Amino acid sequence: MKKHHNAIAIIVVLLFGTVLFYIGTDGFRAFTAESARTYKLLQDKPVFPSVTLEDSQNRSYTFKEFADGKYVFLTFMYTSCTTVCPQLEMNMAQVYALIPDSYIGKDIVFLSISFDPERDDPKTLAKYRTYFGSDGETWRMARITNKEELKELLDRLGVVVIPDGNGNFTHNSAFYLIGKQGHLLEMMDFTNIDEAASTVAAILNEEAGE
Amino acid sequence: MKQFLYGLVLYLFLLLPPVAALLESIMIIHMHMQMPLLILSGFLMARLIQLKFPDFFRKWNSNGVPGIMLFSIILVYWMIPRTMDEALTIEASELFKFISLPFLAGVPLRDSWKKISSAGKNSVFIIFIILFSLMGWLYIAADEQICNNYLRVDQITLGWGYVTMAVCMAIYVIQLIFGDHSEYK
Repeated sequence: MKKHHNAIAIIVVLLFGTVLFYIGTDGFRAFTAESARTYKLLQDKPVFPSVTLEDSQNRSYTFKEFADGKYVFLTFMYTSCTTVCPQLEMNMAQVYALIPDSYIGKDIVFLSISFDPERDDPKTLAKYRTYFGSDGETWRMARITNKEELKELLDRLGVVVIPDGNGNFTHNSAFYLIGKQGHLLEMMDFTNIDEAASTVAAILNEEAGE
Repeated sequence: MKQFLYGLVLYLFLLLPPVAALLESIMIIHMHMQMPLLILSGFLMARLIQLKFPDFFRKWNSNGVPGIMLFSIILVYWMIPRTMDEALTIEASELFKFISLPFLAGVPLRDSWKKISSAGKNSVFIIFIILFSLMGWLYIAADEQICNNYLRVDQITLGWGYVTMAVCMAIYVIQLIFGDHSEYK
């Protein structure tokens, strides 16, 4: 009889464990808060908030004016970053190169937004963009000077930026694709260049085929 | 009874918001101090629960296996990077941490450890040595941030903390296997 009870208890415990892990990881999909965030963002499809950009050529315009009904391929960075950002921008340059020229500037534009507006003035951005072959037109680098707007944008797109006290930031990185209506369409792994490029190209091709 | 009181005092102390906030502000202390202390508080409080409900434990945990499995499940759950993040950002998750670690890990551990065989004990150690080494390696080697609420340097520290724990457990198991324990019995 005791064996019997033990077996029942084991089954109950295992069931509890399975349910716990299932709920805790969105059905075994998300084991880090970051993947959970990505999963939730793609379900929610938040709208890109209204922000004013100031780019490397000292021009100011809103995001909406810049996007102008096109897709926007987006990254977040800061120029003093020595770790992830150069890699992120380097990979972005490769995606840029992989997208057929006919779409660039017409159907899709690229944008790197700095979340360190104090140090990343237009002059710094102008220098930084040349390292990655950004042309400053179809791929622009810009800062958002209004702190509230920047915070709202980072919150909305789930970009977590933690200053480490030495002028550096710990932050999560991804490729973002904003749709024509200003909704978040895709969040892509920035280390997987080919996949990101083919995802974007597929969306553009589908659009062109219509 | 005394043990229960010690456990209860420890538990209430850990529940104090400033204490919780302080312990959680540093990643390795959150993982390797607050969480084990919560388990310890449950472990101490378990004595009274065992005395109050002896039949329950005798009936459902007679060989200690269900209890040790529950303990392991709760421990592994709190080793998932996401759960540690969510304990900081989602209140329900924080609440679950303060309930699950003492009462679903500490209490069953106390009740089960004496009941399971030494082979069972060794398997538990070996499983956690492997898991801790893997988690340590993951935290040390990961180029990216695994927990959004902590810096990468904290992450590396935590990784070494895991490795240290794994090494300590391994040393303990090795001395169990090769040491002569006849004198202590």
